[in-house]
Amino acid sequence: MSLQTFAASKAFTLGVELELQIVGSHDYDLAPGAADLLRLTSRRKLAADVKPEITSSMIELSTGICDGHHDVITQLREVRDALVHDAAKLNLRLCGGGTHAFQDWSHRRIFDTPRFRQVSELYGYLSKQFTVFGQHVHIGCTDPDQALWLLHAMSRFVPHVIALSASSPFVQGTDTGFQSARLNSVFAFPLSGRAPFTLTWQQFGSYFDKMRRTGVVESMKDFYWDIRPKPEFGTIEIRVMDTPLSIERAAAIAAYLQCVARWLCLEHPFEPHEDDYLAYTYNRFQACRFGLDGEVVDPRTAERGLLRDLIAQTISAVESHAIELRAEQGLSHLRHALATPGGSDAAWLRAAQAREQYLPEVVRQQCLRFESG
Amino acid sequence: MTDALRSLMTKPWALQPDTLLGAALLALLAALFGELVWRALRWPRMLGYCAVGSLVALVGHSVSGHEPALRLAIDGALALLLFESGARLNLRWLVRNPWLLASSLAEAALAGIAVWMVLRSFAVQPMAAAALAIIASAVSPVVLQRVVGEMHAAGQVTERLLALSALSMLYAVLAMQLFSAGLLLSDPGTWLDALSPVLFSFCGSILVGAALGEGLALIARRLDLRDDNAMVLLLAAVLLALVVAKTLQLSALLVPLLAGIWLRNRSQRPWVWPRHFGSAGAVLVMVMFVAVGAAWRLDAVAPVIGIALAMLATRAATKTLAVLALARASGLGIGQAMCLGAGLLPMSATAWLLGLDFSVRHPSAGAQAMPVLLAALALLELTAPLVVMGCLRTAGEIDLHARDKPR
Repeated sequence: MSLQTFAASKAFTLGVELELQIVGSHDYDLAPGAADLLRLTSRRKLAADVKPEITSSMIELSTGICDGHHDVITQLREVRDALVHDAAKLNLRLCGGGTHAFQDWSHRRIFDTPRFRQVSELYGYLSKQFTVFGQHVHIGCTDPDQALWLLHAMSRFVPHVIALSASSPFVQGTDTGFQSARLNSVFAFPLSGRAPFTLTWQQFGSYFDKMRRTGVVESMKDFYWDIRPKPEFGTIEIRVMDTPLSIERAAAIAAYLQCVARWLCLEHPFEPHEDDYLAYTYNRFQACRFGLDGEVVDPRTAERGLLRDLIAQTISAVESHAIELRAEQGLSHLRHALATPGGSDAAWLRAAQAREQYLPEVVRQQCLRFESG
Repeated sequence: MTDALRSLMTKPWALQPDTLLGAALLALLAALFGELVWRALRWPRMLGYCAVGSLVALVGHSVSGHEPALRLAIDGALALLLFESGARLNLRWLVRNPWLLASSLAEAALAGIAVWMVLRSFAVQPMAAAALAIIASAVSPVVLQRVVGEMHAAGQVTERLLALSALSMLYAVLAMQLFSAGLLLSDPGTWLDALSPVLFSFCGSILVGAALGEGLALIARRLDLRDDNAMVLLLAAVLLALVVAKTLQLSALLVPLLAGIWLRNRSQRPWVWPRHFGSAGAVLVMVMFVAVGAAWRLDAVAPVIGIALAMLATRAATKTLAVLALARASGLGIGQAMCLGAGLLPMSATAWLLGLDFSVRHPSAGAQAMPVLLAALALLELTAPLVVMGCLRTAGEIDLHARDKPR
């Protein structure tokens, strides 16, 4: 199968996917409830879609095509309320967060579909360790070349959204020291990281054909890049975020990305360049490890800056676009988080654990945070 | 307690289950056989324990349930398991999913009524039939918990099996108390004498259960329950409550069950502790399964085996039908509901103790009920765990990659 044609879509439309944790309300460990939950929600009519994921204790919800923040939050609220209600009928609960705080990955079960079986056989324990929960944001692009341009221009904002969404400090019962430990698991996959620097769909097509000839990939699905083009939707998909603890935060991050995309495409504040990637993995690490307090390097000027400050600057820079896209509410949510000490979800989780000294109780409070609002 | 220990010590070389030598040999045999069953067939180890018990019964050393040391171990094990069972029961779930509560009430009530009718058709006298019907309405949480635990089962069928069994146990114990009161009330002139001990037992069980639950919550709040030392404290608290219950002649089944329910539902905070309170609890549980396995005598059971079979078939059919009827409303698939209904088969130590207590209070009705009950237990002790395992496997809720599978 060669590369699909890029289905153009309306510029700057949004789609949000959230991978959620299904936990049992007895011990708050991950519980295999995806199939049961899907059976109940399939009886409902929802604007958003609900799908299974690779392990049976994970469920993915995705909005339809949204114009902006208001649409996203309305759809997410509706599907969240429906899922929470159905989960309660099954003695299950749902929560956000990039990792489950204390699950034992060897206990996870693979959801039974041919593709998931195949992935599981290929990647072995990695596929179970991949029991991590992310937020993906799609941004609509009018043509494929614009999509690739935007993909690379966006790369310097990858640390921003990692820091804003970071919610995975605990893995397998221990504090990793990271704000987002989830991305360390993603990095173990052979085709993760950044996309190759190609700015036209033609160049990208020839890269894809070469890769396919090697037999390493069959389709775009085999690339686990931080940002990847999604030709069938006509979007680029930003995949670095942890699932935030609340849908308000998830919607706000989507709004931030939408505003940045519009700003980049309409004002061209800079042109993307291969050398932008010199400091890419370093900056990404800083964001994962220290979150909003991470210090990132501008590869062009060699200047260093705190992510907290850079995000605030960006929010100011995109202000007119936020007004145009009616995303002010989302951005003000983020401004508030930046101004609050420990305003990140990871800090919230650490504070809960410091108070309770008991991770199952932390997960329970995580559920409350997801369910309310 | 000293009597109990003395009986273990005084005749050290007598080959009875109730002596130190007998107990040691049986424990050795049960542990080995349990491991064999697990390695060779991947069946739960408890099947090995029950099988050893059955062997003991077959060679004529059956257990009456009145041996002091053994009874202590059985009561202790049951207290632990019922406490765990109660502590899994989330009452908020029943509020959020009232159809689940409805299917619980339906499966217990219909099974009880159907069993009563079948037993009456076999000319079992009304009192004995009613006692058996109440006992048969309950599903043993003991066997379910053990199979679920050993097979690392998780999922909707598992959750509901555990919830329905805890609830049915609660109904049965309460119904048994009311029934006993009713029986004595029908004795002219004694009704005041009869009512007060029943009320005392009922309210006392609730009070002691709540006190134990509250005490355990206090312990759990301050200590990590996954820690060995905290575990000993928990174990001791449950056994202490059992002693109080026995001294005050409260229900030894109701107190731990209510304590568990209290602990689970007094606050939303989750509590996690090792299964059966770690290794000390595991020993008691093994002894209990061997003892229940050895509870029957071939000569007493053989004549009533047909009645027992009819009773069990009716019970299984009504329970399955009740669960199936309310499957969709309670959010369950039909396949899952079949598995759930069929999984509601076990009757075990709980049924035995209910029967024993009934016989003590009502010897004549007990004399007719006990052989049927023991025949049913003999029929179920090896089949029920296998059926439960099969149901969980069919429902896809057993993790085939469980950590402790045979190496």
